[in-house]
Amino acid sequence: MSKNIFGIKNPAPMLAALMLFAITALISPMALSAVQSFNITAKTLPNGQLAYALGSDAEAVIPGPALFVRQGDTINVTLTNTTSAEVGFSVPGLQDKGKGAANALPGQTQNYTFHANKSGTFVYHGNGKEMLGLFGALIVDPTSGPIDRYIDDNGATVPVAQADIDKQFVLFMVGSTFWGTEISGDGTTQKPLWANPNPGAVENDIVRFHILSVGPGHTFHLHAHRWFKTGTNATIDVKLLQDGTDTHSFTVKAGSGVGAGDWQYHCHLVSHMEAGMHGSFKVAPAGGSGASVVGASPYGRILLGPKDEPGLVTFEVSDEPASWFRSARGDAIVGLRNKDVGLTGPDEDKSLDIKTKSLEVIAPGSSVNFVMSDTNGVHTISSLLWPSGAAHMPFNQTTAYRGGGIVKLDTPGLYVFTCKVHPFMFAAVIVDDPDTVGLDLGNPAADYKIDLVTGIKGLPTSTDLAVRLLKTFFIATAPDNWQDYSTGHWSVKFPTLPVRISGAPFGNIASGGLAAPLSAVLNSDQPIAFGSKPAVPGVGEVWVNTQFEKTAGKYKPGTITVVDASNWTVKRKIALPEINMNNPHNMWTNRDQSVVYQTQWFDNKLTLINHADGKLIKNIQVGYSPSHVMTLPSTDDVTIANNGEDSIMMMPAGTSYVFKALPTQAAGQSTAHPHGHWISADGSKIVTPNISTGDVGIYGSNGGIEARTPTGNNAPGAHPVAIGMMPDSSKIYATNLLHHTLSVLDGAGNLLKTVNLIADYNPITGAFADNDGNGKIAVGVLPIQTPVAPDGKSMVIASMGGQIVVVDTSTDTIAAMLDCDPGCHGANFGAKQGGGYYAYVTSKFSNRLAVVDTDPNGDGNLSDATIAGYVPLVTGGNTATDDTVSRLPGFGGQGVLAIPNVYNGWVQNLPETWKSGLTTAQRDPIGH
Amino acid sequence: MTFQSNQQWHVKEFPGNSLAMPNSALLKQSLAAICLVSAMSFLPVAESSAANHIIRMTAEETRNDGFGNKLMAYKMLSHIVDGADITGRYSHDATIPGPTIVLTEGDKVEITLENAIPGAFTHTPGVSKQVSLHVHGVHYKIDSDGTLKVINNHDDEGAGDGLEASYKDYHYTWDVAPGTAGTWAYHDHNFETHNGAETRGLFGAIIVNPAGSAAYAKEYVLYLGDDAFWGMEIDGASKQQSKHGVNPSLSAAKNSDVRFHLIALGTDIHNFSLNGYKWFDPGTNKLINQAAIGPLEKHVFAVKAKGSTQYVDNNFSNKLMGMTGQFIVK
Repeated sequence: MSKNIFGIKNPAPMLAALMLFAITALISPMALSAVQSFNITAKTLPNGQLAYALGSDAEAVIPGPALFVRQGDTINVTLTNTTSAEVGFSVPGLQDKGKGAANALPGQTQNYTFHANKSGTFVYHGNGKEMLGLFGALIVDPTSGPIDRYIDDNGATVPVAQADIDKQFVLFMVGSTFWGTEISGDGTTQKPLWANPNPGAVENDIVRFHILSVGPGHTFHLHAHRWFKTGTNATIDVKLLQDGTDTHSFTVKAGSGVGAGDWQYHCHLVSHMEAGMHGSFKVAPAGGSGASVVGASPYGRILLGPKDEPGLVTFEVSDEPASWFRSARGDAIVGLRNKDVGLTGPDEDKSLDIKTKSLEVIAPGSSVNFVMSDTNGVHTISSLLWPSGAAHMPFNQTTAYRGGGIVKLDTPGLYVFTCKVHPFMFAAVIVDDPDTVGLDLGNPAADYKIDLVTGIKGLPTSTDLAVRLLKTFFIATAPDNWQDYSTGHWSVKFPTLPVRISGAPFGNIASGGLAAPLSAVLNSDQPIAFGSKPAVPGVGEVWVNTQFEKTAGKYKPGTITVVDASNWTVKRKIALPEINMNNPHNMWTNRDQSVVYQTQWFDNKLTLINHADGKLIKNIQVGYSPSHVMTLPSTDDVTIANNGEDSIMMMPAGTSYVFKALPTQAAGQSTAHPHGHWISADGSKIVTPNISTGDVGIYGSNGGIEARTPTGNNAPGAHPVAIGMMPDSSKIYATNLLHHTLSVLDGAGNLLKTVNLIADYNPITGAFADNDGNGKIAVGVLPIQTPVAPDGKSMVIASMGGQIVVVDTSTDTIAAMLDCDPGCHGANFGAKQGGGYYAYVTSKFSNRLAVVDTDPNGDGNLSDATIAGYVPLVTGGNTATDDTVSRLPGFGGQGVLAIPNVYNGWVQNLPETWKSGLTTAQRDPIGH
Repeated sequence: MTFQSNQQWHVKEFPGNSLAMPNSALLKQSLAAICLVSAMSFLPVAESSAANHIIRMTAEETRNDGFGNKLMAYKMLSHIVDGADITGRYSHDATIPGPTIVLTEGDKVEITLENAIPGAFTHTPGVSKQVSLHVHGVHYKIDSDGTLKVINNHDDEGAGDGLEASYKDYHYTWDVAPGTAGTWAYHDHNFETHNGAETRGLFGAIIVNPAGSAAYAKEYVLYLGDDAFWGMEIDGASKQQSKHGVNPSLSAAKNSDVRFHLIALGTDIHNFSLNGYKWFDPGTNKLINQAAIGPLEKHVFAVKAKGSTQYVDNNFSNKLMGMTGQFIVK
């Protein structure tokens, strides 16, 4: 930007004064049981994180001020809440005086008294908001005698008194980030070191470390040093900090026996190592300064940040629709006005129409931080695109886990992050070079181009593909841009943010790029008509996972919308508030269709639901981020793909416990993270698309890996996401989400063909033409669910880019393309009344169900494939409910299941009552 | 300062202090009182103290899963102790886990690592082809940290083509100083990224015994990975290392004293049990029958082999995946 939006409002001397703040002298060794009083204020930081300050005027810091007391002390805390959220203060592990915690509403002041009945290091935290920054260390030292010990370079154990300590560091492990404070040996001065700092010391300094954690667990490791495990004589150099809150204080002689050096400290969980959770303990030789290097600060160089120091923005990882990666100041981001980005004048108070809470702007050299503070699932933080030539890209985690991620971004341009498990979770960070006009979407040093994770390099930001990717981001992360059929028009408004791209759209690369409001590139407002319901009824019911629909009785999103296929009305909504059902994603039924199995994709549960009345039967733990569920047609045993883990969970028919996990990879191999599996009609094989390893796996349903076949032409991050199989199991189809292809394999897993689903699309100009010469102009951008019809004659591919691709399975070529709604996602076949099949197709960002007839006249030629009609997914007059829809009505369409289940292998097992509605051919799809 | 700087801490001097621990005499008394748990057996100690170890290892590709996915492994090329060649006690092959190097407090180790992984010397900007040895527990200078320069601000300390420097092989010096007794992991820290390939097979352990300490009939080194145990067994008499691999069946003679060395690696936090057995929580006199272990923590305990059982990780998913093995006592 021409105007420096990374404001430096505080003059430097004042900064220095703020950096060091003294806390009142707390060290009173003579007193045996003093009363200590602390006035603590909870504040909102410039990046939206929350933090504690000592007193009301001091700068709030993360970690909060370290509080030193003596064993036996009584501690009175007065908590004043100046944030807009309810916050608290509690100290797990110490004796409190009744209340357990202070909880203060915005603007309130509350008191909390507790007793330091034992010595040790304790976490104090925000009692619900701690993951956002409300945490600190309370150190209770014994009233007399040494407070610690260290192992000298000759092996001797040396007791440590307070006066021996040269300096202390608090390092809080939160999400996948260290938050540090440097403290003088006597505890009287403290300096915030912020995120992932490099604490410093001089060789042979006596340094006491206080390692603490809130949230998911960690192991702390410091290179080349060793110390005692608290309360034992065991010498260690790695210490587990358990889930919840945990602490570990220890003392070392800096560089003892090893000398000076930059000694790395890090969490030793590999997922957290990949997430960037590390720093260096800089031990200077004698005579050196031993100064610490401060990490990334919430006050630093970010949009509207007040200080000229490396800055930090933080995204909360959430199960909340659209706000999956929600900036900690997301509400403020949505409310940004022209003047906030330096556009002054008559329109300076005009809104920038940002709409998304998943966008941030920082200066080069600042960092972006992710913390999984609002999710029950596991995730990865993974680069989707970045400015061409950017250092340390792509950022990736090979294994999904609980935690977060932190990465410093030096190169200007747009960075988009996603979760590989849930690939519609998006965060965008613009690293802006203050010397260019407009926010840089590409690298200014490379004609504003970007690179994509799938291997595309140097894509001009003015191309149609780049614009489409941006559009996907602004739709997915802003419900205001979703296609709501109750409004009659679809208005997709993009921010009026000034941006700089590779040149005039589309595809003109101009040196120096083009500055324009983003809304000039992207905007649409079109009338939308709901369309009519299918003329011919379907058989039975269609169960749809309206995964984003919010209801009043629970915090987590998602309902099941049950459509009566005889009259295309919504018969029932199932929210299950009693279990806070979280992001219901995919379903299957047992043989007699009496139980519906439901996965909770952002959680670790499988839910069993009574088909007849929609009531909960049981909610069971099955492992992280279960995505799809199917039964074995041979035994009715239940198989669950654990998308966040490395196995398929097995649950015996008629039971409600998982008893075995079939590994999706050989021991020690990279975690496969299987998503939308399918099962052969004879129940002998389970076939998974392995999103993390980029292959299709074939597994014996009794165990054993039969094949692992790479898909997507081995492109990095091709992301095979869903599987379909021929009814005779002769072929396997896998869609590669980010490679926009369909992989065709034989039943043994040999790759037969890779169908390019975007051959007819020109990514530069956006023009569509029959480039693949198959006589059709048809594309499937971001293909997802890909079921084969029960009779094996056709297949549909629901493509997130807004298309339904119909494939002729006799030739494995594209037969037709039909329009779909934004976020087109789920598809499954059900029986059409009187014969034939309907493919039911759902879309995440609309609230209607598309009913596709792949061969209306039944002649085997699929070129007349059509959308037979649409069904609204919103509550109607006669809809039975267990909760009240409160927001995002009918949105989030993903998993879809027709009941009765008429796939070959399953249909034969239906009870007679369910078979009676089917034709002879439907009862035996390939055998009649 | 109330106490001499090199004074040992024990319970008599600081009654009631939670930091204080019983001294070893007290520990031995408690040990003798509990028959489930092994007392020390007193087989002769093989290595003399203050020995010089000259070790040469390599890292190779290994263990194809049948579908082209490979892991990597360390292999012992030679191990000379004060001039005596003890290479024969190791496997001739690259193994997962890597060789267990048994040392005594006071020893010095000169260890050279080679890189036999295909493409190790082909430069690829931004990708490290190096493999390294980053060891826990013992003393070493910054040039033996086994990390990349982006981490240690000194050098790319591995064999192969690093981000900034390339080495045909890399030489590390470990000072097995007093105060470093214990079992410690070593692992790669440099392959592809600064995090290395510790979860792709490049890991092993050193066992540092205090000088003059007891020996055991069997030593088992078990690594708790994210989907399986990897392990090996060392015979107390022959020192031969065997049974490398996944969820190995460990064997012991009835009533013999055996020692388990557990090291976790990967991402999962584990809950280990050896069903039916209790042991002392390391560094305490507290008997436990399960242990929470996080990545790169170690947990070492001895038991008297009384009966066959299973060792198991009780982590929800890992247990269902069959992360367990046999402990066979005959």
